[in-house]
Order: sequence, then C-alpha cells, then structure tokens
Amino acid sequence: MEFDILGLNPLTVLVFGPGLSALIIAALPNNKVLSRWLSLALSLVIAAVAVAVFANYNNTFMDDPNVSAFQFQTQAEWFTLLGSSWHLGIDGISATMVLLTGILVPLAILISWEVDDRPSIHLALILFFEMGLMGVFVAMDLMVFFLFYELSLVPIYFLIDQWGGKNRKYAATKFMIYSVGGTLGMLLATQLIGWTAGTFDIQQLSQIWPRFMGENGSFLGIDINTVKGLSFAGFLIAFGIKVPIWPFHTWLPDAHGEAPTAGSMLLAGVMLKLGAYGFIRLVVPFFPDVWIGEINLLGLQFTAAGLFAFLAMLGIVLGAFAAFGQNDIKRLVAYSSVNHMGFVAIGIAAMAVAYGQAWANGSEEHMQSGIIAANGAVLQMFNHGLSSAAMFLLAGGIYHKTHTRDLREYGGLWVKAPIYGGIFIFTSMASLGLPGLNGFVSEFLVVRGTFPIFTWLTAISMIGLLFTGAYILKGIRATLHGPFNMKWRDTALEIEPREVVAVVPLMILIVITGIFPNWILPIINDSVTIMMHSITG
Amino acid sequence: MDLNNLNTLPWLIPVGPLLAFVIITLVTNKSRMVRADDSHEYGGHHPDYDGMNVPVVAPWSRVASIVVGLSGVISAWLISWRVFFEAISINQFGKDVIFADSIDWLSNGLDTFRMGVMVDPLTAVMLFMVPLAVLCIFIYSIGYMAHDPRQARFFSLISLFAGAMLTLVVADNILLVFVGWEVMGVCSYLLIGFWFEKKSAYNAAIKAFTVTRVADVVMLLGIAYLFFLSYEFYGFATLNFRDILYNEAFLEYAAGTNAIIFGGLGLSASAVIGIFLIIGTIGKSAQFPLHVWLPDAMEGPTPVSAMIHAAAMVSAGVYAVIRMYPLFDAGGHVHAGDFTAPLLLMAVIGSFTALFAATMGVVQRDVKGVLAYSTISQLGFMIAALGMGAFVAAFFHLITHAFFKALLFMSAGSVIHAMEHGEHHVHEHHAHDHHHDHHDEAHVESVGVGDEAGTHPPADAHAATEDPAEHPREAGTHFDPQDMMNMGGLRHKIPVTYYAFLAGGLSLAGFPLLTAGFWSKDEILADGWYVFRETGSGMHLIVFLVLALAAFLTAFYTMRQIGLTFWGEARTEEAEHAGLGGPESIISRTMQLPLIILAFFAIFAGFVGVPPDFPILGSIFAPNGNPFFDFTKYALMESIQPEKPTFSWIPVLTSFGVALGGLYLGWLIYWRNPLKAGDEDPIKQPLGVLYDLWMNRYYMDDLYGMVFVRPSQWFSAVVVSTFIDKGIIDGFLHLVARAFIWTGDLIKVLNLWLIDGVSDGIPEAIGHFGVWFRRIQTGRIQQYLLLAAAAAIIIGLIFVVSTTLLQAAG
Amino acid sequence: MVPLWLFLAVAAALFCIGTFGVLTRKNAVAVLMSIELMLNAVNINLVAFWRFQTPLDMSGQAFAAFVFVVAAAEAAVGLAIIIAVYRNRRSVSVEDIDMLRW
Repeated sequence: MEFDILGLNPLTVLVFGPGLSALIIAALPNNKVLSRWLSLALSLVIAAVAVAVFANYNNTFMDDPNVSAFQFQTQAEWFTLLGSSWHLGIDGISATMVLLTGILVPLAILISWEVDDRPSIHLALILFFEMGLMGVFVAMDLMVFFLFYELSLVPIYFLIDQWGGKNRKYAATKFMIYSVGGTLGMLLATQLIGWTAGTFDIQQLSQIWPRFMGENGSFLGIDINTVKGLSFAGFLIAFGIKVPIWPFHTWLPDAHGEAPTAGSMLLAGVMLKLGAYGFIRLVVPFFPDVWIGEINLLGLQFTAAGLFAFLAMLGIVLGAFAAFGQNDIKRLVAYSSVNHMGFVAIGIAAMAVAYGQAWANGSEEHMQSGIIAANGAVLQMFNHGLSSAAMFLLAGGIYHKTHTRDLREYGGLWVKAPIYGGIFIFTSMASLGLPGLNGFVSEFLVVRGTFPIFTWLTAISMIGLLFTGAYILKGIRATLHGPFNMKWRDTALEIEPREVVAVVPLMILIVITGIFPNWILPIINDSVTIMMHSITG
Repeated sequence: MDLNNLNTLPWLIPVGPLLAFVIITLVTNKSRMVRADDSHEYGGHHPDYDGMNVPVVAPWSRVASIVVGLSGVISAWLISWRVFFEAISINQFGKDVIFADSIDWLSNGLDTFRMGVMVDPLTAVMLFMVPLAVLCIFIYSIGYMAHDPRQARFFSLISLFAGAMLTLVVADNILLVFVGWEVMGVCSYLLIGFWFEKKSAYNAAIKAFTVTRVADVVMLLGIAYLFFLSYEFYGFATLNFRDILYNEAFLEYAAGTNAIIFGGLGLSASAVIGIFLIIGTIGKSAQFPLHVWLPDAMEGPTPVSAMIHAAAMVSAGVYAVIRMYPLFDAGGHVHAGDFTAPLLLMAVIGSFTALFAATMGVVQRDVKGVLAYSTISQLGFMIAALGMGAFVAAFFHLITHAFFKALLFMSAGSVIHAMEHGEHHVHEHHAHDHHHDHHDEAHVESVGVGDEAGTHPPADAHAATEDPAEHPREAGTHFDPQDMMNMGGLRHKIPVTYYAFLAGGLSLAGFPLLTAGFWSKDEILADGWYVFRETGSGMHLIVFLVLALAAFLTAFYTMRQIGLTFWGEARTEEAEHAGLGGPESIISRTMQLPLIILAFFAIFAGFVGVPPDFPILGSIFAPNGNPFFDFTKYALMESIQPEKPTFSWIPVLTSFGVALGGLYLGWLIYWRNPLKAGDEDPIKQPLGVLYDLWMNRYYMDDLYGMVFVRPSQWFSAVVVSTFIDKGIIDGFLHLVARAFIWTGDLIKVLNLWLIDGVSDGIPEAIGHFGVWFRRIQTGRIQQYLLLAAAAAIIIGLIFVVSTTLLQAAG
Repeated sequence: MVPLWLFLAVAAALFCIGTFGVLTRKNAVAVLMSIELMLNAVNINLVAFWRFQTPLDMSGQAFAAFVFVVAAAEAAVGLAIIIAVYRNRRSVSVEDIDMLRW
C-alpha cells in the first residue's frame, strides 16, 4: 500500500528528511543534551518512515500484473536539458537497503553520544550522511544516483578526518582520494551512457544501453565493444573500490579502523553496500554482454564475470587471512568486511552470468542459481550490515573504555564484563556465519547459487569461510579468554546501558533473520526474480 | 499447538531446552560481585584475581537455573518418549507412515524451500536415546557444578547444546541438520573453554572449533551441491530426506550424473556429495585425520565431555552419515561387495581410525584421556560398519555406545571429584593456609595465579599472556587428580562409581552376552563376515580383521583403566582420602543417580538387538525377529534394506575371543600384580618405542602445528597483511600518490618562472611606464591650465573644421 | 538699443583678459581676481542672452545669481587657502605651490 506523509512522497521524506535534520542540528545552539536527543528523535522518525516504506512494499507483482516492482515512485523535472529527471522509487532490493539504513542510523547516533568534541556537528554529519545513502538507494535516475553517491563521501570524510583515531588524516585522505578517483571513470561512463540513450532513467537505460550498437558497431569511430568495455571498467572500478573488491580494499581497514565508532558502523553497515547495490542495479543490467564476453589476456581466456568472481574469491580468502593476521581489533573487524563482502561480490558475479546468458541467448541454464546467488548477495548485504555494525559497536565500545585497540593489551575481560562478553560472542558468531543466525542463511544461498556456476572458485573460497572461524576465534580469545590483564583492574569494562540499547535491535534482527529468513527474503527474491525473468520474458 | 497431533509434535521437542537457554541467559543468570579471595563464596580453584571483585552466581540464581534447565530437558524428554512410543506402536513405521510437518522457510525464485521436522525410525530411536542421556547429564551436572561461580552460564549453554542436538535429530532436511550441527559446535567451543582463564581450556576450545570447521565448510559445499542437484531433478528446491533418500529415481539420477567438481576423477554427483558430507562427519565425529580435537575436548567440565562424547556432538556426526546412507550407496551395491566411493572411504577411514585410536588409548595416563580415545575408536567402528553397508548395526552401536560412554565419562567425573576431595583433605591435613573449595574441578588453578607460594599474577600485559606452562605450579610438581597413576584402590572409597564404571567398561569392552556393547559390536562383525562369506569381498574381510584387532585393544585398555583406577591399593595420599562427601550429600546423590540409570541401559539395551537365530538367547529375546533391526530398517527404501545376516559362529567366536582375550590380558597385568606407588606402567617396557609414539599421539598435533597452524599464522600476518596489503597494494597506491605529488611539484616549478614570470611582468612594466610618465606632472597649476586651454582650442578647432568640411561635403 | 553682439564682445574681451591673467600672473591673489573676471564675463553673457532671447523666463538671471554666490564662496575659500599657504611658505607665488604632483 502506497501512502504519503503530509502530502509528500515518503521517499522524498527519506532523502530530504535527514538533510533537513542535519541543518536543524547544525543550526541549533551548541547544546550537547539538546542536539543528542533531538538528532536521535529525528533519526527515529526517519527510521519509522523507512520501516513503514518497507512494510508497505507490496510484493504481489508476481501474481498481479497491475502492480509494478518499483513502487512509491515520484518524478519531477530536474535536469531536463540532459534528459535527467528527479525520479525516485524502490523495488525489493532497495527497500531492504532503505530499511537497513533507517535502522542503523539511530543506533549510530546513539553510539555517537559518547563524542564530546563538537557533538552537534558530529551528529549533523551523520544525518547528512544518511541523506546521501538514502538518495543512492531510492534513485531511479542515473544522475541522481551519481549525485548522492558522491555526496555521501563528504560527511564521512569529515567524520574520519575530525573525530578519528591517531592516524585519521592519512586514513581520511586515502579514503577520499581513492573513492573520488575511482568514480572518475564512472562519471565519464555515466555521461556517455546518458548522452547516447538520451535519458538517464535507470529502467529505460537497462533496456536501451545493452542494445545500443552505435553506428554499424562503432561509436565515434571506436569499436562499440571497446566503448562498452571501457564504460564497464569505469563502473567496475568505482563500485569495486566501494564494495571493496580485492585488490581495491586497502582503504577499508584504514578508514574503518580510524573512523569514530558511529562512522565505522555506518561505513561498514551501509556504505559498502552502495557499491554492491550499484553492481546489482546498474552494472548487471547495463552490461549483460560484457559480463560474459571473453577476455584474452596474457594467453588466458576468461570472462569478465569470471575475473570478477576470481577477485571476489581472493577477497574472501585473503580478507580472512588478513583479518587473522591483525592485532588491532578494529582492523580485524574491518578485514572481516572484506571477507564478507567477497561473498556478496561472488554472488553478483553468478547473477551476472545468469543474467548475461539469458540476455545473450535466452539460456535459462543458470537462471535458478543466478537468482539464488543474487538473493544471497542482497541478503548478505543486509546481514553484514547488521553484524558488522554490531561488531564495530562492540569494538568501539571496548576501545572507548581502554583507549587501546591492540588485542594483545586485552585478555580475560569476560570476567569483568560478562554481559559484554555474551554480546560479543553472540555477534561474533553472527559474523562467523553460525547457522541459526543471519549470516549463515545468506552465505549458504551464495554458495548454493555460485557453486554450479563458479564451481572451483566457490570451493576454494571455502578456505575463507574456514579462516573466518579462525579470526573470529582469535578475536574472542584475545578479548575475553585467557588470564585477566590486571592493567584493567580498576577500569569499568562492562558495556554501558546506552550501548546495550543500541545493540539489542541488531541482535534481535540477527536472530530473527537466522531463524526465519522469509520475513525479508520474499521481498528480495521477488524483485530479483522478476528482474531476471523479465529478460527471457 | 495440538499436543495430540503427532505430525506437529516434534516441533516442540527442541523448544524446551532452547527456551531454557533463553530464559537462563536473560533472566536467571544473575551474579553478585564477590571478592575473588573470599574462599567461602568463590571457588578456591579459580584464579584469585588478586582480590578483585568478580561475578559469582547468586544463590537464588543457581536454584532457578537448575529448575529452568531441568524443566526444559524434562519437557523434551517427555515429548520425545511419547513420540517414540507412538512410533514403535505402528507397524512398519517409516515405510508409509512418518510424522512430518514443515513451513515455508527460504524463497528461491519461483518456489520456496520448506523447513520442517520429521520422525522416521532413525529419528524415533534417537529420540529415545538422546533426551534420556541428556537428562542424566543434567542431573549429574547439578552436583558437579554446584559450586562453580558461573554455574548459570553452564546450564544455559548445555541447554542450548541439548536443544541443538534435538533440532538436529528431528530435522527433516540436511540443512537443518547442519544448523543443529554447527550450533552444537559453538556450544562445545564455549563449554570446552568454559574455564576460559586456563590456557589449555581455551586452546582446546579453539582447536575443537577450528578442526571441526575444516570439515564443516566442506560439508556445507556438499549441502549446496545437493541442493542444486535436487533442483535440477525436481525443478523445485528441496533437501527433504524423503525426497532425496526415499526416491530411487533421484538416487539413480544422482549416481548417474557426472559431478561438476572432481568429475574428472570419474566421480558421480552422489559420490562427490557423499564424500563432502562424510568429510563433515570425519570432523564432527573425530575420525582420522581430524580426530585431534577430541582428546583435548575433555578440558571442559566433565558433564560436557559426556555430552560431546556420548549424547550429542560426535553422535550427531555418525547420525548424519547413517541418515544419508542411501545417497552414499547410490550407484553401487555394497551388500554385493560393490563399493561406491563414499562407502569405501568410510570403510577405510573408519576401520583405520578404530585401530589407530585404540593404540593411543592403550598408553593414556589420564582417566578421561583413555575414554576420549576409546570414543574415537568406537566411532571408527560405526563409520566402518556403515561403510560395509551394516546400516542397522552401525546405528545400533551408536545407541549402545552413547549409553555406556556417557556412563563411563560421568563415572570418570565422579572419580576425579573423589580425588579432588582427597586432595582437599590432604591440603587441610597439611594445614596449608590456602583454602580450597572441596567440590571444584582442579584445573582452573593453573592460570598463572596465586598458588601456595602466594605469587600474584603479573600486572604487565605481556607477562599475563605468557605461557602459563612456565609457571612452577604447572611444571609437573603439582598433583593431577586425573592421572590414573595417582589413583588405585578406589573401589573401596566409591563403590557405586566402581560398579557403574565396571558396567560401562565391560560394555565398552564387549563382554560377551551380558553387555550392550557386545551385541552391537558383534552385529557389526557379523555383518562384515556375512558379506565376505556371501560375496568374497576382500574389503569386508580386511575391515572385519582390523575391527577385531581394535576390539581386542579396546578390551585391554578398558581393563587397564579399571585396574589402575580401582584395583590394588591407593598409590597416593590423595587417593587414600578420596570420596564423594558422604552418601547423604546432595552432590553425591545427583551424581550417582544418573550412573545407576545409565548402567541399566549400558547392560540391557543390547537385548533389543539380539539376532533371532543366535543360539538360546535368540529365542528368548527375539522370538519374532530382531526388534531393533526390524524397526530401524524401514528408515530405508525396501530396495536397499540390508539383509539380515544368517548366524555364523566365526564372528561370534571372534567377538568372544577378542573381548575375553583383551580383558584377560588386562586382568593379568593389572589385577594379579597391581601397580605400586612409584612404579612405572608395566606396558611401557614391552612396548618400547611404540609407547612414546602413542603417548605423543603419533606426533600428529606437532605435525599439524608445523604444517598448518604456524604457516597459516605466518601467511596471514606476514604475507597477506604485511606483504600483499601493506607492501604491494598500498605500496602501489602510495607510489601513484607520490607520482602525483611529484607531478605537482614539477608543475609548481614551471609556474614559478613561466606563468608567474608572465603575470608578474605585465604589472611591473606598467609600473615602470608610470614612473617615467609621471614626470609630466609638475604640480604647477598654470601649466596644467595652459595644457587644458590648448587642448580645448585644438578640440574646438577640430570640431569647427570637421563640421565645416562635413557641411561642405553635403 | 545696444545690440546683443556688443554685449557678447565685451564679455569675450573680459573672458580673455581673465584667462590671460590666470595663465600668466605669478601672484595667487591676482590669479584669483582673474578668475573673478572670467566668471563675470559669463554673467554678462547669461544676462544678455536672457534679455534678448527669453525675457519672460527668469532662468538667466537666476543662473547669474548662482554664479555670484559660487564666486563669492570660491573667493573666500581661495583666499583662505592662499593665506594658509602664505603662513607656511611666506609666499603667494603659484610657482612655489607645486606640491600637488602625483
């Protein structure tokens, strides 16, 4: 059931609500208590809208042809000269992401209450960040997408640069330059695609651009395959940095490690999903033929999707190894994101193969696997958002209390922090992919989906799954187990009630998704299925 | 929910323990802060934390946790037994009738994967055994954990453990089995590391989890593949056991399809899936080469060992392969000596492990260590039996083993408890100033914390993480209440435990005719022999011989253990004063009641599986055919149901021979000439170099450390984190960044002399011109005026002339 | 009646005398007086044109009156400056007053 809020489209509210809230918080007098409570209240309102949008998303379109997969659409004139319009709307994939963003931001705000340095600006930046994230997820126009995609970089840059750890300047600069540099190719590709198609509407482009053959197979005197390949590469690098795909991942441990707790939560929880979302929303439908096209490099024959899956596999395996090799708790958790997002990436690769084959020759051979892999990828995005946010929350919590991130400085903390210990083990297990908790469902779906397509790569990535266990156990061992480090004898280590309030919603969602994934999966599944099946009709 | 609807009733079985877990964790697990040196409130064997305040479970919470945990398990037990008795009352249960129910669980494209519960004969028998064993373990834990400062946490975790096991048992698909399987893995991890301050405990926990996970990820791959295969066949998503295992068409399809991985080796899809699933069991049920975690797993509290070794964890592994047997057998016919790859793998691994672990069991000094190796060995029996196609026999041995092994572990726990009691007594006697709470496990004290010498743990972080083994207390000088060399003569001190242990031990050894262990082991050997005799299959003969040898060793080390522990005279002062705190103590009672229950089953459970053509006994216990066999076989389709082996004297006499021979040898060495204090183990001399090899577990732990653990640590820290990420990738990024900076510098220099030169030059020229031009200004007003006047005149003239000319031009 | 051109001729003569005085006299006071001459030449022109061209309109006379006022004010300011300069320099010669360069 579509609804509106005071006559406004709820998606408009989701995009501009946070921005407006940020302005209000920033403009108010610098009063800690006021800005904290007010920002929490405003973000909760936005969360309520996000939940309402998700709950009212109608996934009966499989049975009812009158229902569109894209709902809550709104369109306004914006950049008519270029053929771009202000077009918002969501399908099941974006609805999931909107829900995730809506839930995580209030929790991040609650956590950033611990910031005493210029709190109102800090909170305003978080809300501003939410605007960028929401904008990307609800955009149905490529220009709008790009706008918000870049916009989201700004607040997080300042969050890291101003409120981060010791090495924050390096991390913030690296993150910013890497991200912006990465999107240059995408900007060019965006312009090229929009210009040739005469529109920036993503749905229309998904139809037009793959069929675009230039003039007799060449475009501006360049072979059309080269043009498409280059634009594909532009998108690939931009989103690949964001996901991150190995080897574009090294900004992540620095940025996540140095960012303030709330920043890490949102970076890992939502921002990484922008890249994956971009792949699913744009790169897969825009370049079905490029994904499965053969590349011949140094005598090796492979497809773009195969290469992508190979890199994803490296991300899974090497990400896990790297996490295992860390002695810094936040870097360990950060590397776990590389590991987990690798599963998203390999799922996307499988989806792209299924989509590409169906597009190119109507083959349904891998259709079911592709759908399952895509389901798994999207659900993994959601799940990783929950568990990594919770992990960063806990890692940040212990850092806040001990002022060290070095695992070797901890030890035996469980005895002084029994509740913290229990929660830490719980979220660690979620991150590890324990069956019965959320991560397992999505990882299983991804493995099931990719195994028939990338058999060996999936098999090898199981090593990563093994080492996921190893680094998680290392984290627990170093933090909670072992003899108590008497250095912390008089330090209050137990988790604070505020942190408990922030982590409990995540834990509830983790359990519910693990035990009964179908509360959310049908919404993802139906959108993915209709997207995949629409190619072959 | 309708309690009379047997289809939906199985849902409720795991709910009780799981709910107990939630309630204990959230509600009743409440602690008070107590100073750690308060020996009255806080167990003296735990680290004293230098007098810091530590949480200790509140008294009401202890009681409440026991009540909640016990209610959960009792509810599961009652429901399970109700289901079980309903099931056995149905004729040919499993063939047409099963209890099953499912819900939509996972959307997959156009259809939905359904998750559910199912009770067939296998499940029904498990539902008889598991809740009973778990209930005994719970009752035992009441006494065993009575004084532990984290008792509530123990009960919550063990409830989760039980809930996970029951989930696995009632699952109707392999995915839900995997869920229970992994949750148990985590519970065992947390419970093995329950005394988390102790290095050996958390290391054992990590080892258990990691080693089993090696297998689990492979198993996950197998499940994913099976999920794919079933979709290819059915066109919808299913992993339901009835769909996969009870449908000949599917099994034929699976056996006839070339595998998408390792297909080049000529393996069919069913073979690859089978091997992957079996690898999962090799990890979970501690088979060679992944057996290394199980001996260390006894670091946890003893009830946990019973849980892992008997009722839950390792049984789950065997249960899963028994469950999946039709898939393994697809495409072959093992009863005709035609092995498929998965069954051959099981036969080889199982029989090898049975013998391999038995050899190590022979030399153990730790009372729980012997049992740990015997578990590995007995699981090998089951795996090998299944590999030979002895489906029912393997399952029968699983059930009897669960009873007698739970019994043995809990008896061993009582022995340890009694020894600690003795140790406490000795300490009191020697008037040490150190207070020991007299009912706590001994090990926790070794965490580099205060001991008799009164040293305190170093506050320095690096020192605190040092190897506690370097601590003088750990260096072998202190008393180990688990070392059998320190025992002796305990049969007089703890008679109930002695008889219970005797019952369990004889059952393990397969004491003929009387014990459950004999009947199940005999059935395995009989099945192997039968197929060999019928088909001449050499593999069956080899397995038969290896298992017989392993059974001989089993009987021997069992007798050795009983001898060292209970016979002869006390070899230490501690053993002299061992005891359970008097028969009136609640601890004594709760720890003895389960032993009596389990001893009953360890002896008599075997009589449900007596072959009908066994001389004399067959006509007494199985006048209408072997009841266990006849009930269980309907878990399989009729086409692959095992044939009942006809009676043959050779396997029976072999069973007699190995069991009695081993027992006699043990009796000879350890009864006739009991070990005295300070004596060496009498088998050390004759075994020679083998003794060291077995004592050091064939050096496999060291090998793994060298080949896997340390290289992977090195690889992670040095190669991946430092070399690849920081060195190559970041190095490349920094190089690019530096190149940009250099380019920037170059452009800056260019700016200085080119662009700045031009842009600064123009204003400068203008300035120079101004300096020159300003000389025109004299400051004399009259000159200015003159100029102005001249200009006016000239302009006027021009105006006049031009107008005139224009007018003239017309 | 005196014709217009005679008035204009007188005014032109007077203006030329004034201009010559401004450009040639060294004494600042004389320069000031010459300026008065030029202004009065203008006044003659204004009044003459008013009388011959638009006798009904008073604007010519009004202009002349303005010029008187301005001339008086100018003379006052000018003399004041000259006195100030004289006080500083002990001279009223315009040759000496050349500080307004640049």
